[in-house]
Amino acid sequence: MAKVSVLNVAVLENPSPFHSPFRFEISFECNEALADDLEWKIIYVGSAESEEFDQILDSVLVGPVPAGRHMFVFQADAPNPSLIPETDAVGVTVVLITCTYHGQEFIRVGYYVNNEYPSPELRENPPLKPDFSQLQRNILASNPRVTRFHINWDNNTDRLEAIENQDPALGCGFPLSCTPVKGLGLPGCVPGLLPENSMDCI
Amino acid sequence: MKLLKPTWVNHNGKPIFSVDIHPDGTKFATGGQGQDSGKVVIWNMSPVLQEDDEKDENVPKMLCQMDNHLACVNCVRWSNSGMYLASGGDDKLIMVWKRATYIGPSTVFGSSGKLANVEQWRCVSILRSHSGDVMDVAWSPHDAWLASCSVDNTVVIWNAVKFPEILATLRGHSGLVKGLTWDPVGKYIASQADDRSLKVWRTLDWQLETSITKPFDECGGTTHVLRLSWSPDGHYLVSAHAMNNSGPTAQIIEREGWKTNMDFVGHRKAVTVVKFNPKIFKKKQKNGSSTKPSCPYCCCAVGSKDRSLSVWLTCLKRPLVVIHELFDKSIMDISWTLNGLGILVCSMDGSVAFLDFSQDELGDPLSEEEKSRIHQSTYGKSLAIMTEAQLSTAVIENPEMLKYQRRQQQQQLDQKSATARETGSTASVAGVVNGESLEDIRKNLLKKQVETRTADGRRRITPLCIAQLDTGDFSTAFFNSIPLSGSLAGTVLTSQSSPQLLPLDSSTPASFGTKPSTESVASARPAGDSVSKDSVNATSTPAASSPSVLTTPSKIEPMKAFDSRFTERSKATPGAPALASVTPTAVERLKEQSLVKELRPRDVLESSSDSDEKVPVTKPSSLSKRKLDLEVETVEKKKKGRPRKDSRLMPMSLSVQSPAALTAEKDAVCLSVPAPALKLPMPGPQRAFTLQVSSDPSMYIEVENEVTAVGGTKLSRLKCSREGKEWETVLTGRILTAAGSCDVVCVACEKRLLSVFSTCGRRLLPPILLPSPVSTLHCTGSYVMALTAAATLSVWDVHRQVVVVKEEPLHSILAGSDMTVSQILLTQHGIPVMNLSDGKAYCFNPSLSAWNLVSDKQDSLAQCADFRSSLPPQDAMLCSGPLAIVQGRASTSSGRQAARLFSVPHAVQREATLAYLESQVAAALTLQSSHEYRHWLLLYARYLVNEGFEYRLREICKDLLGPVHSSTGSQWESTVVGLRKRDLLKELLPVIGQNLRFQRLFTECQEQLDILRDK
Repeated sequence: MAKVSVLNVAVLENPSPFHSPFRFEISFECNEALADDLEWKIIYVGSAESEEFDQILDSVLVGPVPAGRHMFVFQADAPNPSLIPETDAVGVTVVLITCTYHGQEFIRVGYYVNNEYPSPELRENPPLKPDFSQLQRNILASNPRVTRFHINWDNNTDRLEAIENQDPALGCGFPLSCTPVKGLGLPGCVPGLLPENSMDCI
Repeated sequence: MKLLKPTWVNHNGKPIFSVDIHPDGTKFATGGQGQDSGKVVIWNMSPVLQEDDEKDENVPKMLCQMDNHLACVNCVRWSNSGMYLASGGDDKLIMVWKRATYIGPSTVFGSSGKLANVEQWRCVSILRSHSGDVMDVAWSPHDAWLASCSVDNTVVIWNAVKFPEILATLRGHSGLVKGLTWDPVGKYIASQADDRSLKVWRTLDWQLETSITKPFDECGGTTHVLRLSWSPDGHYLVSAHAMNNSGPTAQIIEREGWKTNMDFVGHRKAVTVVKFNPKIFKKKQKNGSSTKPSCPYCCCAVGSKDRSLSVWLTCLKRPLVVIHELFDKSIMDISWTLNGLGILVCSMDGSVAFLDFSQDELGDPLSEEEKSRIHQSTYGKSLAIMTEAQLSTAVIENPEMLKYQRRQQQQQLDQKSATARETGSTASVAGVVNGESLEDIRKNLLKKQVETRTADGRRRITPLCIAQLDTGDFSTAFFNSIPLSGSLAGTVLTSQSSPQLLPLDSSTPASFGTKPSTESVASARPAGDSVSKDSVNATSTPAASSPSVLTTPSKIEPMKAFDSRFTERSKATPGAPALASVTPTAVERLKEQSLVKELRPRDVLESSSDSDEKVPVTKPSSLSKRKLDLEVETVEKKKKGRPRKDSRLMPMSLSVQSPAALTAEKDAVCLSVPAPALKLPMPGPQRAFTLQVSSDPSMYIEVENEVTAVGGTKLSRLKCSREGKEWETVLTGRILTAAGSCDVVCVACEKRLLSVFSTCGRRLLPPILLPSPVSTLHCTGSYVMALTAAATLSVWDVHRQVVVVKEEPLHSILAGSDMTVSQILLTQHGIPVMNLSDGKAYCFNPSLSAWNLVSDKQDSLAQCADFRSSLPPQDAMLCSGPLAIVQGRASTSSGRQAARLFSVPHAVQREATLAYLESQVAAALTLQSSHEYRHWLLLYARYLVNEGFEYRLREICKDLLGPVHSSTGSQWESTVVGLRKRDLLKELLPVIGQNLRFQRLFTECQEQLDILRDK
């Protein structure tokens, strides 16, 4: 049974300009004190087409985690625009928050992100080269997509068991590390990558 | 009979392996396969029972679902109290769930609204022990134990009062164990396995009572489960899958002699599940018919792999009803409603069926009283132990008592409000953390949170703890998209205003303390509720004099500890007056801590002494001496790291046997002759030997015989090393045996001479001439004990140079057949204690000059005594000291729990408990173990208070108080075993104050103590 369950992720300062940092207020609950830190990551999916453009905006260790309910604010800088394909700068993409324990990812929260020009003129006639300073980022906070994975929370027990206990959908050679999911119902979504509690496609 | 298949009860088409109806009948649980995990779902019962509710959109159908099991859930079972739900699954785990209080329905983060959990059930314990899939779980009557069985061929008995403690693992099945059932009287548990056997185990010692194989010889094909059941009157045990003449049956096994003469026949395939109706029925009396009382009967439902269900009455030869083709696949589980008229059946095909019977069909159910009367008459014991009449109407007669009671209430409120700090902060929108509202915290979280860099330069955030986990009573509701608006907070505030604060009000003083614990604490919910209200109130009006505001975070921690123990206690003492369990004072808490500390060494010690006992007693020979040494050494090794104090109490194993035993077979007449012939084995001369006296400080004695020859005479060398410091001395005769303590070293030589040396090797006495050759030597502190071959015992205090015990013959205690001494102990006060092979232990009381029986392992009093309700919280009953060592572990909880469930009527049990506690107090006193004396005395007093024995309590108080006005003729001693009696009385007072019935006694003692203090 998962020792840590995420209770809520609140998206702070949303919408906001493209260059302002991401801020998520994460509350989670822990059943038993954890021996080691949790590692949280924010991954910005630069392009739905390829994982190549994923940017890990930041990763942070959270700890110590005694049993109880905790919260913290995870702040990470905006993505580097130069790493985003120009064609994908405007439009819908995804930001992921993942959490790993002992290198095993046990939860992944995905949000749709819509980048668009707030001004009608720019929206009508977008510049050929995207003007990131004008872009506004809007995270679809009301609709998080949560995927939970069974992992091995104990050090001592057999690691193999944890893998065995993962849901079959993951078994198909999909590594547990934080390979970003091209998904959330976007084009290019690999079917079956969102097991467990994931919602139906929107 | 009505039949209904509620289609909405499903696991999305996945198999449902188990179903169980909550004891209060308002909900039921299903367990089975989930999407890619095990799944437990709690459903609302009313839509099943009433069509209107089924159609009403506002009546929730699903109350909660838990996906926490990693693999398929094979069994879900509610505890008899309904407070807990246990689930076991293919992930080898058993999870125990408890309802958490909350404000409203909540959702799992990220799930859509329709999956909202109406109720919050939290996993409070995960039980790990099985190495294979858990197939069945079962709560014992009274919820003292939880049993689980698994494909690892074992049954595990868990202490349901103290998860995850394992009381026993029942091994003996050679196949997958697939079903469990408790005897309704609590004397047995039965399990059925794929190894074609059904085994019945005793709860007294967790040993096999019988194994039944005959009806299962022909059983071939395997079923997923083999859920057997015991009839509510206890007479019959009915198995799942059995065979009779190649036809599948459910075998009826009679409790009387475990006879297997009858069975339920008719199913075409294997029987998977049998479930008795919890009610016992009697024939419905028809108007005008003869009033001849008919025999009560039971009702039983049988489900099979052939997809059909049959319901039987034990008074009919044919089934009451058979329903074929009820499902598409095998029936997996059956559950009756508590009123005995409804039945839920679940199937591998993923659906559930509900059958509703009328009383005309089944008969008139007997009331619980009638049922317990049947138990009482059949087994001499009913599970319905009467609780004391409540004292809610008692009037508090004096201000001291009132003050005392109020203080206690205050304490409770403080405790609770501290909990409220935790629960309230989350359970109510207006909650606060450390005096700050959550809203404020959220505003400043980013600024306030502690961020550091790790050695490798990574960011590390220390999360802000916003709630502790303890009672499990908080909600996820708050976090899930409830707008944090001030107006909402306001409404919560007003709706939950002050009535709960009434106990604080001086106008209603008495009501609070006399609530039965089941009501006030057993379910933590009401407590939590009132608590959160208190805190809400407090925060809204900080100026109020309410004591419940706690602003220091440091206070939360101890409260939490208190609380967990609190619930544990309440589980242990259903029906006991609340005050008894609720008010451990700070003193007691401290005491517990120290006890816990002391517990560890004792554990070690005991394990070693246990192992000694198991060593078979051997014939007296020179070998025994070596063996003794070896044993002493092993004991010593195990004792490493033990505080020094205990090492003085080192038990020694001794291979001693009376010659009577040896000759027993040859000459029976010899046995009856009282034993002048009694002879204990003597250590033979050895060339050299080494003895470790203690490991901390490390101390060795080395003996070398016949080392130096001076002019033809031979000398023996005695060498002693203590923490590196050594000394040596020589003796003339050969040294036969040696012993040492921190204060003295003594050796026994040939020619019956005993020499004693100080720790530095100085001779303290000229050699003592023993009346006969030595058998065993033992030292504790400055006391030297010598047991001679002629079976006499002497103890001297070598420092004060006085005799404590003078050549006391052992004949009286070693009388009888093959009795041997299994353990010798010399307490710090120089009192010798002999543990005999028959489980009895005697100590020699020098002042009475007589042997006292201090312990008897076969003592039926110890078996019957049940004073758990009077135990101070936690494991304080593990009190270390000589008495505990002598009595070993035999007297701990498991046997006692067993006794509680079945042995004797309550009144007898009460007397037995009193007698047992009194003998413990007396034994501790005789052993002069002050610590244990105090422990048992307090326990005894608490029991007297709980059970309302006034005269004995008064006598104790009188003795402890002594004469208030000193008179010269008084024989009264102000101390007992080194404890001041009046201090003990002061400790007793809070205990006495817990029962309002004793308020006069309380006042008397209080006043007189005050007078004494003022003098």
